[in-house]
Amino acid sequence: MPSVFPWVLTLIAAAVGAFILSRRCNRYQAAPLLGTVIGAAAGAVGSLVFVQPLNYCMFEPERAAVDAIFGVLLVGLGSAAFISGADFAAKLWYTRHLRASAEQKSAGYFKGWLLPFLFLAPTLIILALFLYYPSLDTFQLSTLLARLGARRTAFVCVDNFTSLVSNTQYLNSVGITLVLSAAIVFFSLAISLFIALMAFQPIKGASIYRTLLVWPYAISPAVAGAIFLLLFNPTGGIINYFLNSTIGVSVPWLNSPQAAPWVVIIASVWKSLGYNVLFYIAGLQNVPDDLREAASIDGANTVQRFFRVVFPLLSPITFFLIITNTTYAFFDTFGTIDLLTGGGPLNSTTTMMYNIYEVGIVNNDLGKAAAQSIVLFVMVIGLTIFQFRTAGQRVTYGA
Amino acid sequence: MVRKNVLLFVLVSLLIAVIPAFAQEPAEVKVWIAFTDDVRLGWAQDRAAEFNEMFPQYNVVVEGYANYEELFAATALAAEQDALPAIVQYFEVATQDARDSGYFKPIADALNGRTEVNGLPVNFDDFVGPVASYYTLDGVFTSMPWNTSSAIFFSNMTILNAAGIDTPPATWAELDAACEAIMALENAPEFCWTFPNHGWFFEQWIAQQNEALANNDNGRTERATEVTLNSAGAVALLNFLDEQVAKGYLYYSGAQGGNSWGTVDQAFSTQQVAMAAYSSSNTADYTNYGPANGYEVVASFLPYNQEVGWTGNLIGGASLWLVDGLSPEVEDGALSFLLYINTPENAATWHQVTGYIAVTNAANELLAEQGWFDENPNFRVAADQLAQSQITTATSGALLGAFPSIRNVVTQAIDTVLLTDTPVEDVLTAAQTEANTILEEYNLLNAE
Repeated sequence: MPSVFPWVLTLIAAAVGAFILSRRCNRYQAAPLLGTVIGAAAGAVGSLVFVQPLNYCMFEPERAAVDAIFGVLLVGLGSAAFISGADFAAKLWYTRHLRASAEQKSAGYFKGWLLPFLFLAPTLIILALFLYYPSLDTFQLSTLLARLGARRTAFVCVDNFTSLVSNTQYLNSVGITLVLSAAIVFFSLAISLFIALMAFQPIKGASIYRTLLVWPYAISPAVAGAIFLLLFNPTGGIINYFLNSTIGVSVPWLNSPQAAPWVVIIASVWKSLGYNVLFYIAGLQNVPDDLREAASIDGANTVQRFFRVVFPLLSPITFFLIITNTTYAFFDTFGTIDLLTGGGPLNSTTTMMYNIYEVGIVNNDLGKAAAQSIVLFVMVIGLTIFQFRTAGQRVTYGA
Repeated sequence: MVRKNVLLFVLVSLLIAVIPAFAQEPAEVKVWIAFTDDVRLGWAQDRAAEFNEMFPQYNVVVEGYANYEELFAATALAAEQDALPAIVQYFEVATQDARDSGYFKPIADALNGRTEVNGLPVNFDDFVGPVASYYTLDGVFTSMPWNTSSAIFFSNMTILNAAGIDTPPATWAELDAACEAIMALENAPEFCWTFPNHGWFFEQWIAQQNEALANNDNGRTERATEVTLNSAGAVALLNFLDEQVAKGYLYYSGAQGGNSWGTVDQAFSTQQVAMAAYSSSNTADYTNYGPANGYEVVASFLPYNQEVGWTGNLIGGASLWLVDGLSPEVEDGALSFLLYINTPENAATWHQVTGYIAVTNAANELLAEQGWFDENPNFRVAADQLAQSQITTATSGALLGAFPSIRNVVTQAIDTVLLTDTPVEDVLTAAQTEANTILEEYNLLNAE
């Protein structure tokens, strides 16, 4: 029997939605009452969409405070999503006249709607069966205590999520993921920009170099892991052999919790260089020469020319690469980590993705793994939205 | 006219094609095992081929999986699709999981008092003591033991002799003294000894000190609901290992669980270490490292804690489980194949090509007659160790749900102790809490 508290939250969400939508409608000098009603409806529905299927179990009196806090978070998330959706729809609706003429000028190839849908149907069906349906299943699984091969499952409301707050291993993996991703993105972009600048010089055999530089892109992350495992093996690897014979120092690359993350970073950066170099070379080809010449006539030296002219013009590419590299660092480094360190000495290379693998597949605890993967999913979406809002403002499109 | 002939031809050929279906089809007995190498999978497939010739009414097909984890996942999925095979190999610590799964039927129940099936005799008393006691649950012989090993100790006698040591160390104190002598040598190896950080070794050393791992008599009288990881024996063990690492004697590669075996192979075969604790299942490989690399390898019992004395060691390995709900012919075929695998000759050859112990007394006598143990002294160590072990609650091994996950907690605890300065009791107590949570959840989902 849900207490009064959730209904209060729904009312608050409805009020907030009404306020935002009515402001939007006022801006376009359209019907404010309609906006208020739609906003209230959006807020109310959004506040219910996550907590109603669970029957408000997180607000039950015998549960801990952290469950109720999580419930408030879910309400907030749902209503924010629905209200911003309604807001965006209102914005589109009231500015449709601005796009109408543009749309009429560039009509699509297909006249009707049936044929396009038939062509899209195979992809949509596969997406629905293998991506969307399992995602819904994951949401359901995250509210259960489930083990592979067990006789039954048990409903535990949001315990799988709230237990993450006090799970040191999980919090550790979040920290490591953020650090590793930041390092991988930064080093990968910096080094690949440098390499692209070098490869872009009008030198002999430039096209050959550019082709060879892109090759690491084609190998799988696991293969990169295997290659660097051989290179950085503390006893039999080439790196330590060279270090030993030249400087006389032998670094415990894969055995030390401080050094192991660096091997993962190096391997991941190397693997993603090809992809980034390719895009940067394409971007450099789009930088108009006359801008650079104008800058040098004005007295800018090479460094100033680079940072003031070339780099800002590369910002769309950089922005795109930051997003793709972040996704790569979050998810695709799994293969590399598994082969290199298996989670690392003392869990120093256990990223969130690797932790999901350990909990879900190695330890067969499906419910907790599902909860962790949902948190990762929300985190990546949040990161992408954040990147669009901040860095997206600083991107200069077009010369 | 032509059309009619064509039609006739098609009808006749269809009938001919259908005839084989009316003939007597051999009952298919699918066996899933977790070996993919030529030696073990090959041996099993050869026995299947021989069996199929002896009994044409059955068709035994052996499929190999890369490791036990993949095999369990495949079994769980097959159960959901009603596509289970006839026989599945589960390793020993998954015995409770197998029991709880509901997929399997105890072999004694399936035999129903028969003393022979298709001419193959049934003799449960012939199995080596600890082996029979491990796989007899609630007094009922449940699964067929197959690959059974014990944890033993391999020593590079060339290095030991150079340090003036004639026999491999038998206790922890002797091991410490031996390492002191070895590391003082001029061209001493990098480290003195190593072991794979696999939960099995922790269990072995605990059992040697007669400490049970779980309550309710190690889970054998009733379902286990609690594990004890911070017993006196466990603390003594981890303190010993920590001290050995601190002195530079023990080499710890940082790999845990399944990944740890390969690092020990590498360290021992390249003489980076002088001694290694390992499974007797690789006796053949380890004995051959010697002549291949110019040194002598001798196997001995796993060193024990001299303060407490030696009670006995555990078995390791896996057994073959019979799936429930098979049709009578397939079940008889499966039972026959299970019995065929453990005839004295087959059990003996299995031991000879792998190093797993011969699980029946008859097989052991056969090997002794052939003089096998005299020519290959390393191969008898595991069998002797098991034969001389006292059978107590501790050495019978624990029946624990979610045991593989609990093993991961144990190896993580050992990893923490060996790589950081955290006190042993704290690490073990934290590990115990985690393991008990896992066990509690497992029991919640599986207990009746």
